[in-house]
Amino acid sequence: MTTPPLTAAEAGLVSCENCSLLSRPVGADDHGYCPRCGGALEQRHPHSIQYTWALVIAAAICYIPANVLPVLTTNALGSSESDTILGGVLLLYNTGSWPLALIVLIASVMVPLGKLIALSYLLISVQRGSVKNNHDRTRLYRLVEFIGRWSMLDVFVDTFTVALIQLQPLMSVEPGPGVLFFAAVVVLTMIAAESFDPRLIWDTPNVRQGHHG
Amino acid sequence: MAESSDPQDVPQATVVPQRRARVSIVWIIPILAAVVAVGIAVQRIMNEGPTITIVFKAAEGLEAGKTTIKYKDVAIGTVTKVELSKDHTKVVVRAKMSKDAADLMVEDAKFWVVSARVTLSGVSGLGTLLSGNYIGFEVGKSEKERKEFVGLEVPPIITGGQPGRQFVLRTENLGSLGIGSPIYFRRLQAGQVIAYDLSADGKAVDLKIFVNAPYDKYVNPGTRFWNASGIDVSMGAGGVEVRTESVIAILAGGLAFETPAYVGAAAPAAANTAFTLYVDKATAMKQPDPISQRYVLYFNESLRGLSVGAPVTLLGLPGGEVIDVGLDLDPAKTLIRGRVEIVTFPERLIARLHKEDAGLGRDLAKSAQERRALIKQLVERRGLRAQLRSGNLITGQLYVALDYFPDAPKATVDWSAEVPTMPVVASTLPDLEAKLSSIVTKLEQLPLEQIGNDVTKVLATLNTTLEGATSALKNIDSDLMPPLKSAIEELRQAVGSANQVLANTDATLLGKDAPAQQELRDALQEVAAAARSVRVLADYLDRHPEALIRGKTEDRP
Repeated sequence: MTTPPLTAAEAGLVSCENCSLLSRPVGADDHGYCPRCGGALEQRHPHSIQYTWALVIAAAICYIPANVLPVLTTNALGSSESDTILGGVLLLYNTGSWPLALIVLIASVMVPLGKLIALSYLLISVQRGSVKNNHDRTRLYRLVEFIGRWSMLDVFVDTFTVALIQLQPLMSVEPGPGVLFFAAVVVLTMIAAESFDPRLIWDTPNVRQGHHG
Repeated sequence: MAESSDPQDVPQATVVPQRRARVSIVWIIPILAAVVAVGIAVQRIMNEGPTITIVFKAAEGLEAGKTTIKYKDVAIGTVTKVELSKDHTKVVVRAKMSKDAADLMVEDAKFWVVSARVTLSGVSGLGTLLSGNYIGFEVGKSEKERKEFVGLEVPPIITGGQPGRQFVLRTENLGSLGIGSPIYFRRLQAGQVIAYDLSADGKAVDLKIFVNAPYDKYVNPGTRFWNASGIDVSMGAGGVEVRTESVIAILAGGLAFETPAYVGAAAPAAANTAFTLYVDKATAMKQPDPISQRYVLYFNESLRGLSVGAPVTLLGLPGGEVIDVGLDLDPAKTLIRGRVEIVTFPERLIARLHKEDAGLGRDLAKSAQERRALIKQLVERRGLRAQLRSGNLITGQLYVALDYFPDAPKATVDWSAEVPTMPVVASTLPDLEAKLSSIVTKLEQLPLEQIGNDVTKVLATLNTTLEGATSALKNIDSDLMPPLKSAIEELRQAVGSANQVLANTDATLLGKDAPAQQELRDALQEVAAAARSVRVLADYLDRHPEALIRGKTEDRP
């Protein structure tokens, strides 16, 4: 039995997003409200793909300055030094603390990039109407959603360092512009993951037609 | 036509669902992000300064990404790379300059490494001990842009903005001078030596000096520079002179300059004017003396102590110098005498004239004729003569004095000769010498030897006496001491024995159980017993006197 199970959309039904009650929609365009909880019913998030794409692209744009611009500027005894994220990773690696370097590399470089790639893959596969690897793609989406909050690690460390190390005449640490972009990347990818409707993964091409542009 | 038409045939207008705005407002976010990112990128590119390379001999404390290039303590660039040159002999430093410093990168801009330095003239760059070395920068004047530079080994002494002027000094050798050697003007530090180089022909050294404002305006074409290095000790007819500018000049060498009084006021010299560097102040301040008059003097006395360069004075004021000391054989070959050639500088003496006579002095300075007439007048009427005098009794330096000797025999000056002869008078020096020598003779006549001998003899006697005394003392030591010692020893023994005897006596006579006492006690008891017997006998005899004859009879009841 290889045929995929019937989806609510294929059956002409709508599932409430809030209480998951399956109900019959009012009309083709206006689905009406949930009879149980009163939430607005929608077969799929409107413009989910477009929203997600916009946010993913914005995040991708921000990702470049986040890595090129310095995130921290250290002023110590008259000399000032600016570090980018990758520069920090290299510095940590060179000074021998490679586990820390690995953590920063994964949390600050690979995770945001992975999220961007994963979301792009999900979007493209949905747009092309792919029906393969539905399970894997759903799992990937869950992973992206889960991991999103953890990539704020870098911003967190940055703000802490800046707040703590202010020994004015001797040493001070100032945030660089890169950290703003980095935070933007993290926030944008989180919103992008949020706006992506995972139910789209399960839609067969013909069902998908009417709903999204 | 119209009725026949069937309304049913008219096609039904289709309802095309109104398409909602296709492009969602959400696209503003990526556009915004792109605009910001592009904006930053553009700003970065706009602010991108040139990348330059500086070649140093060694990368003393330079670090890529850390070391800055500073001009007037403002960072204008950062070192991005420090690497060896291709032939591994030098260090190539790549630096990214800020955009506003781009137009400073001209041909003659200077770079050098600033680190803490301790020199004789001070300590500099202490800040680098904390912040690390940085590259100092000095603007150039050229308009030509350049991207490759060669770093200086030592910081340039004069920074571009410093007011003042640069001059060139030519000297035979560098001596103890070096870059940074101070230049003094009236013992104030007025500038420094900033560079030196062998002159093109290799026969001299060209020193480049910088005289700071406002001192530079005191340098005019007539100014003299001299080497004020070390301590200048000179001994001449004028005595011993010690001259120095400052302790630093003693240690590190230095220069000094001054404009001689006889050079009138003049406009300050233009920058890069070349001057001669004189060996010392005296040489430097010597008047160039455009007007000079030579005279020859014939002396019939010793010229010992008279050297070339010895001063010639007129009434004690220096007015010339000896230029030749030699001998002269008179044409008849009957006499050898001393020939001294002197040169006088009338201007020096004219300069000494009182203000009111300045007009007359100027006339004299202008006209050789008038000067000659004056000299002739002085010699013939006033008795102006040359005389050798001792400038210093200890060293025996001589100088030539021109003075008035009204009693001197008549003489005249013959101006027709190439070098006129100035009449002389014998020096008073021999008298002095004679007196001195008589003192010396008297001293010599003193029977010093005799006195010495006597003293020696007395000393010898004293010595033997002392020796006798010493031996006597020694004899006392050796002859008397041992018996004395034994006598004392015996005495000590005798006393010891006496002590013993006394102790024994004590024991025999006075001790509690002393035998003598015991015996004495027994004896006394016996004596007492005997006395009792005598009393008994006496009583008996008292009562029985007959017993004496009859003997004792039994008592009868």
